[in-house]
Amino acid sequence: MKVLKIIIFVVLLGSFFTTLLVAINHYTTPIIQKNEELKKKRSVLDVFDISYTKENLEDIFSDNIEVVQKENKEFYLSLSREVAFGIKGSGVWGPIKGIIAFNPDFESIKGITIIHQEETPGLGGRISEEEYLAKFQGKKVFPALKIVPHGKAKAENEVDAITGATMTSKAFEELINNQVGEYLALIKEN
Amino acid sequence: MAKNIKKLLRAKGFKVMMIGLWRDNPVFCMLLGICSGLAVTNKVENAIAMGAGVTFVLIFTALTISALRNFIPARVRIITYMIAIASFVIIVDRFLQAFYPVIREAIGPYVGLIITNCIIMGRAEAFASKNKITHSMMDGLGVGLGYSYTLVIIAIVRESLGFGTILGFRVMPDGWTNWVMMAMAPGAFFVLSIYLWITRTIAGVESKE
Repeated sequence: MKVLKIIIFVVLLGSFFTTLLVAINHYTTPIIQKNEELKKKRSVLDVFDISYTKENLEDIFSDNIEVVQKENKEFYLSLSREVAFGIKGSGVWGPIKGIIAFNPDFESIKGITIIHQEETPGLGGRISEEEYLAKFQGKKVFPALKIVPHGKAKAENEVDAITGATMTSKAFEELINNQVGEYLALIKEN
Repeated sequence: MAKNIKKLLRAKGFKVMMIGLWRDNPVFCMLLGICSGLAVTNKVENAIAMGAGVTFVLIFTALTISALRNFIPARVRIITYMIAIASFVIIVDRFLQAFYPVIREAIGPYVGLIITNCIIMGRAEAFASKNKITHSMMDGLGVGLGYSYTLVIIAIVRESLGFGTILGFRVMPDGWTNWVMMAMAPGAFFVLSIYLWITRTIAGVESKE
């Protein structure tokens, strides 16, 4: 009898909280998806250096950006034939995700934005700072992008590393080099 | 009006709340919730979000457990606490993802870890399972606020030294060099130890040896 009481109690309690969670999930899922969508759009506009406000974000995006799907890869084309796409890979402590944009020559970088990173705050974490990412502008990714010790960057495929964050710099270099070739080859066919 | 306030101050619920704020403060008296206190205090914003999340879960867990206290079979009481706590934590997590995605991103995995925050389980077992609903909720509020302000104090020290800002506003002079260590976990240990030393001296807490 005692056991039966326990079972009934647990089942009732479980059902009550499950119902509550299902309701919350149902209510928040569309909002969360929308947030992620907006975040992606903001990053794409940022990387093309197109200004927008919170209100007109969607309109500016649909007016200026053409989304192209190719072999399961998503490309964003701007009106002036610049191209951008997502890159991701592992950093030191966790994944790094970002969007990289190329000038119409499909060779030199127009800009990079970081969507997600878990690097050491103040060291590798500076990878998402605009001042650092600005160093990549105009740099060429062929034959390969090289991140060299701070202050040593001279050639057009060399970028300064973040001081004190060799591992993050190395990971970021690999992440870019591993992916851009394939993506750029695909979009060049167009 | 003044009479009402006096009455409120003398009420048991209020006293219960004040105990949580100071004498039984979860962080410096009971030394509970230290792990999350170390993890999310590098920025004031994160500390506030974490404090609010924990306070919310504390209050609603107290409500649930206190309301059910005469029905919960003793053998499954811990499971009951866990189900209630886990559900409220998921609610907090979904709420942050939907309405405060930036903060959710910053404190990410730690939101889920509210479940393992010993303060909540501790208060459910020690207080909510034995007291009436209003007192239990006031206890949850008091302990939650006690936890929150401790986190915020630590975060103010860490953010101002580690980033030169408080809540994103610049507070340090231009020539200030950020103490990177303060932004990282070791800095949290130093600030927390100093904080414990000061508050325990003021509160007159002594180890029973």
